[in-house]
Amino acid sequence: MSSSDNMSSLPSPPEPDKSPCPFYPNHLFVEGVCALAVFAAIVIVALVWQVPLEEIADPGDATYVPRPDWYFLFYFQLLKYFQGPLIVVGTFVLPVLVMAVLILLPFFDKGKATGIRKRPLAAAAGLAGVVSIVALTAVSVLEDESHTTKMVLPPVTEAQIAAGEKIFASFCQICHSIDGKGGFMAMAPDLTEIASRVSRARIEQIIIDPQVVSPTTIMSVIPLSEEERHNVSAYLSRKK
Amino acid sequence: MGRIYQFLDERLNLTPLLRDITDHPVPDHANVLKTRSAFIYCFGGIAFFIILLQALSGVFLMLYYSPTPEDAHASVTYIQNETAFGALLQGLHRVGASAAVIMVLLHMLRVFFTGSYKNPRELNWVVGVFLLLIVLAFGFTGYLLPWDQKAYWATTVGLNMVANVPLIGDFLASALRGGNEMGTLTLLRFFVIHVMFLPALLAIFLAAHFFMLRRQGISRPL
Repeated sequence: MSSSDNMSSLPSPPEPDKSPCPFYPNHLFVEGVCALAVFAAIVIVALVWQVPLEEIADPGDATYVPRPDWYFLFYFQLLKYFQGPLIVVGTFVLPVLVMAVLILLPFFDKGKATGIRKRPLAAAAGLAGVVSIVALTAVSVLEDESHTTKMVLPPVTEAQIAAGEKIFASFCQICHSIDGKGGFMAMAPDLTEIASRVSRARIEQIIIDPQVVSPTTIMSVIPLSEEERHNVSAYLSRKK
Repeated sequence: MGRIYQFLDERLNLTPLLRDITDHPVPDHANVLKTRSAFIYCFGGIAFFIILLQALSGVFLMLYYSPTPEDAHASVTYIQNETAFGALLQGLHRVGASAAVIMVLLHMLRVFFTGSYKNPRELNWVVGVFLLLIVLAFGFTGYLLPWDQKAYWATTVGLNMVANVPLIGDFLASALRGGNEMGTLTLLRFFVIHVMFLPALLAIFLAAHFFMLRRQGISRPL
């Protein structure tokens, strides 16, 4: 076999195989079939799971709730637990630590054993890593769902809208412009057409916790009672 | 075929080169035809195949894409609605990105749980960790390119996170952003990183990955 002579001088030659299957053409053929199947699967998913392009980016619309692609969700969720001065733990300390452990792994895990049963510590650590990433991703998805679906709101009445307009004028309009009035804070988005962009439940949620829009928003929590909040969201839900 | 090969071989001495690439046995424990559980050894190869698909679909998307805030969104809409197979191509690139991440992660788990990163393959594991980071960087930079709401605001948050890194955070974030505000330079930078810097890095690290794989062989069974 020609491969044996060009591999004889290597530090660690592969174990000699009793009935070797040559890479070309046998194994390459199997890989080709696999590749075709993968290609077909991707095409089918691409055809079935059409994600429409969203509206063009509007830098003025800070009400948009950004979400990263699914494979960054676990990290996005993790960062929610490190707010304020602790944020650096989430954005720097933890990632650097995890990367350092990953890179150095083969240099401190020097045991000869490769079988998973002979390496309980490594197996446990690997499993813990996988489980925490899956769990964080799941929590992130579930939190998003519960925020948007579980809010029970009273039906909108004219009285609510009138009351909401007054509350809006005294609490919100200083920063947010609406119908060409108010809005003395340049960064606060104009809310004239807010209801065409976000749902009423979303408006309520932003009033309760402005940080859902963006962890770095400067909007403060407005001290409204539940009823006042419903009034404001009723008023804004008519602004299309 | 034979005569063409002979013509080239006489002049370029191809045979030793081809022998290096094609003529090596695949051990039974990594051969699906002989060991059923060997499919776990496929993930890396499939990840590589998907990366090739991404390169190909990406090149064709670039024929129409325009990396400016004014035109990016319209050019992606145009690709989806007006070009032949454009929607499929764009969907392929988007789904392929997710598939690449999945396959790279599965490949990494296989290597971890079979203890394949151990002596003598430590360096290949390190290269692999960098390959994971490169693939994730592709995902992060590619997410901005359609310049829709999702792209813009997710990247805003991402760059705010970068800015939180101690000491160099602000510098890093403004280097990526091309200033203090997201705009023309940000999109152009993310585009160039996505289609020039990262592919070059990826090629170098992949070459190292495959070189070491061929030198060291597939790891022994459990």
